[in-house]
Amino acid sequence: MQLFRSGEIRIAALSGALLVAALGPRMACATLGEPELTVQNDVAQLRASTKSSEDRVGYRIHEIQLPGGTLLREFVATGGNVFAVAWNGPTKPNLRQVLGKYFDTYASAPRPTLVDRRHMNIQQGDLIVQGGGHMRALSGRAYLASALPSGFNLGDLQ
Amino acid sequence: MAFMRSLRVGFGVALCLSAISCGGGGDDTAGTPTTPPTPTPAVNTATVIVDQGPTVNGSPIGSVNTLFTTVTVCVPGSTTNCQTIDHIQVDTGSYGLRLLAPVLTLTLPVETLSSGGSLAECTQFVDGYSWGSVATADLTIAGETAKSLPVQVIGDPNFTNIPTECSSTGGTQEDTVVTFGANGILGVGPFALDCGDCDTTTNGLYFACATSCTDTTVPDAMQVANPVTLFAADNNGIIIDLPAAAPAGAVTLSGSLIFGIDTQSDNQSGTQTVLTVDGNAELAMTFNGQTLANSFIDSGSNGIYFADSSISTCTTTGLTTFYCPANTLNLGLSITGANGTMANNLVFNVGNAETMLNDNPTFNVFPELAGTLPAGNAGSFDYGLAFFYGKRVAVAVDGDTTSVGTGPYIAF
Repeated sequence: MQLFRSGEIRIAALSGALLVAALGPRMACATLGEPELTVQNDVAQLRASTKSSEDRVGYRIHEIQLPGGTLLREFVATGGNVFAVAWNGPTKPNLRQVLGKYFDTYASAPRPTLVDRRHMNIQQGDLIVQGGGHMRALSGRAYLASALPSGFNLGDLQ
Repeated sequence: MAFMRSLRVGFGVALCLSAISCGGGGDDTAGTPTTPPTPTPAVNTATVIVDQGPTVNGSPIGSVNTLFTTVTVCVPGSTTNCQTIDHIQVDTGSYGLRLLAPVLTLTLPVETLSSGGSLAECTQFVDGYSWGSVATADLTIAGETAKSLPVQVIGDPNFTNIPTECSSTGGTQEDTVVTFGANGILGVGPFALDCGDCDTTTNGLYFACATSCTDTTVPDAMQVANPVTLFAADNNGIIIDLPAAAPAGAVTLSGSLIFGIDTQSDNQSGTQTVLTVDGNAELAMTFNGQTLANSFIDSGSNGIYFADSSISTCTTTGLTTFYCPANTLNLGLSITGANGTMANNLVFNVGNAETMLNDNPTFNVFPELAGTLPAGNAGSFDYGLAFFYGKRVAVAVDGDTTSVGTGPYIAF
């Protein structure tokens, strides 16, 4: 965390912005519901690195490698915003960063009846957050139901 | 890890040497050879029960398919400053002992890092997190003892400043008996530590706390550890032995948590099917013609969780992620270990969750309770505590050997 504190965070953000400017939106990743060009925030704030970007029909997937080993994938509609994120690894990502303005909705959602700490399936309006797994292997995903590209297969959201 | 293992090996050698020195008696001219005294083995069996859960403010919290045991913890080195705590969840899907501060009457010494900071942990669960200090305790369960065991004190009142990095992982703050669902948890899965690489990597689990808390690395020996791996003997795994439950369920179900595999007469392997698990304690399950590579058998899951869009889900608020078929379904499953060994033709039933809960509101055991997983989400089948009903299931620790294999494995 100290790495990006104080002045260095500005340098990191600036380098991220320059990188994006130089390489175009292909290198970008962003927060749920936000444009692709908000990239540097997630990658810098999460102390992460961009692993790969892949174009699919109607959307693009950015893979972000978090330092603790977790893989974060952000799904961006072509010419649009981030409509989904998914994670898989030993720890969860900083969901306040990744979910952005949707975090509070997620965090305040009522708990279901039978909980066991192994499952999560929250639906609050347009926001859906789901998860599964166990200690040392946690997976989950969040998406905006109305923002899914037409024909998008939820099975690909992992 | 390496540190603990070498300690244990050292201890074993010491036992051996002392046995030789006691048992070698004899002088060759004696008519009757001296029989070496047989060391009394530790009582290695604890009682476990599926019941209504701990009582809070005079009422049981109403647990479902949750396996509990009782432990005794003492301030390290003390035999009098001790507390016996019931309703500690037995969990093969996690690692380490965690106690809920609201029920803990002892003051356990918090671990101090070489940097001078006090050690705290943000334990992450799928649906939330538990924050608290990491302290040491002498744990006794049945006749087994783990001395100076690092344990998490969840909701420690001296550590109320939860770092943003922890709370930002989101979900429910599970720091009370009600939100956590138990007075504590005993993680006895097939690995020794609750983090694979926290000795070299900061990943938001361990924190060094002074005036504030900062993400930190931690030497293995200070991390919250599966207590079984620190027992003097019977430390290569556990066996959970539960009777079958009636299809409709039951109020309670009692059985045994046995420590050690092939270490005493009561924990012999026999002819079990041994399925090794991968580095995530997972194996493959084949269901509906699909092979789900990230599947797991887990005493800490309260249902049988899988994705099948052809089965109706419940409509009651709070239960909509559980299955509610019109009639009980009889479904097939096969399980394949990382070693390629298969357990074929397993059968499980899926009942109507609303009906079973409504028909028997006093029940806490529901072998046919099943819930959904998001379709395609990491290709998983999560077979919870119901898997253990009517079975004797062994969980062997990573790197440890039994008469039928080397951990990490699950055998039944």
